[in-house]
Amino acid sequence: MAPWVGPVASYLATGLRETALLALACVAASLLAGTLVGSVLTLPSRAVRAPARVYVEIWRGLPIIIILYFIFFVLPIIGLRVDTFGAAVIGLSLWGSANVAEVVRGAVQSVPRGQAEAAAALGFSWTGRMRYVLLPQAARRALPPLIGLVVNLIQQTSLAAVIGLLDILEASQRSIERLTLSGGSSHAVPILGAVLAVYFVICLPLTMLSRWYERRLH
Amino acid sequence: MPDAAGYHFEPGFIAHHLGELGSGLLRTLAISSIGMAGALLVGVLLGAISSLRIPVARHLITVYVEVFRNTPLLVQIFFLYFALPDIGLQFEGFTVGWLSLLLWGGAYNVENFRAGFEAVEGGYVEACRALGFSRPAAFRHVTLPLGARIALPSVTNILISVFKNSSFMVAISYPELTDTAVNIVAVSFRVFEMFLAIGVIYLGLVWLMSLGAGAVERHYAIPGGH
Repeated sequence: MAPWVGPVASYLATGLRETALLALACVAASLLAGTLVGSVLTLPSRAVRAPARVYVEIWRGLPIIIILYFIFFVLPIIGLRVDTFGAAVIGLSLWGSANVAEVVRGAVQSVPRGQAEAAAALGFSWTGRMRYVLLPQAARRALPPLIGLVVNLIQQTSLAAVIGLLDILEASQRSIERLTLSGGSSHAVPILGAVLAVYFVICLPLTMLSRWYERRLH
Repeated sequence: MPDAAGYHFEPGFIAHHLGELGSGLLRTLAISSIGMAGALLVGVLLGAISSLRIPVARHLITVYVEVFRNTPLLVQIFFLYFALPDIGLQFEGFTVGWLSLLLWGGAYNVENFRAGFEAVEGGYVEACRALGFSRPAAFRHVTLPLGARIALPSVTNILISVFKNSSFMVAISYPELTDTAVNIVAVSFRVFEMFLAIGVIYLGLVWLMSLGAGAVERHYAIPGGH
């Protein structure tokens, strides 16, 4: 094994740890906030729905990298001291939660109307109807697209490298730079190839799970 | 007017930089339109080969689709831009821009078109064959027009994503719209002005594209059909 492989591999591993932490935080925040916003989108009152609709349209419509840059530049201006990791979590979760909200709204509205009406007739409040009747049924339909979104979020964490977070992609870039500066070859093909392989190994099983679950529903 | 943090919003700053933003937007539109057209073409062609179950070709297509769908676009861009020169393939920013978008969007569209073609009821193709159509003719006159209609909504979604993701080229400093704005912010700190300007441009264009996609879908909808 070439002498450069060992140090680069361990550097990439530290980056991968950061990527994994970022992905976990973003997935959790997106699912939580997205379910909330998505539920609001199913409310009968237009005035209550409107702000949720604006939230979803803005954060789903903008390119994700612009959200990330915006958060990164804006937080210090409005006096919030957050590190790169925090900025990445906020930026990616704004995008993720807006997308989760659309999936949740679609899934809840695909549950036959009679279900909500029957629950209402039995005296369930809105929260009771959502909690015990609509969300459990919607969850089954929402699962395949939600897994797809999780895969998407895991991949989008690589954008945090652009605002300087030392994730696996940034670690690979710095390794390539260092190898180039030390005079030898950059070894960019095997290094970036390894980064692609790591993402592939993580994402492919999830993609297959989503597809398998989708087929099982039909 | 100063806000709580003492930030003065200057609308004039946007007007002052409209020229730069304009040339950035032109580059964004250039790489996006080539990427979108290519992603559409790749999607139809490879999707057709995939759904016709042509051996070997079909498996190669599956490998292409799975690799590009299960790795981040940004890493693909870096691979094209930083790694390929090592094996003698040097591309400039513009080429990496449209090529990476084409390959990424194409992979998703292959899946969209394949699913659309396979959703066309088998009975239609059988009826065609019984009427003496060859297999390619049956595909051309029945599976393609019906399947493409089924695939249309997911295909237009991906094409809109291709446009939005052209902003990823900021990472290789290709001076498209996002890169232009970020560079202006970096020297001026006029964060709100610049992001408001490009936010409105991107949201506006995405909105126009969705309207266009809706119009196309309605135009090609089969009356009373699925």
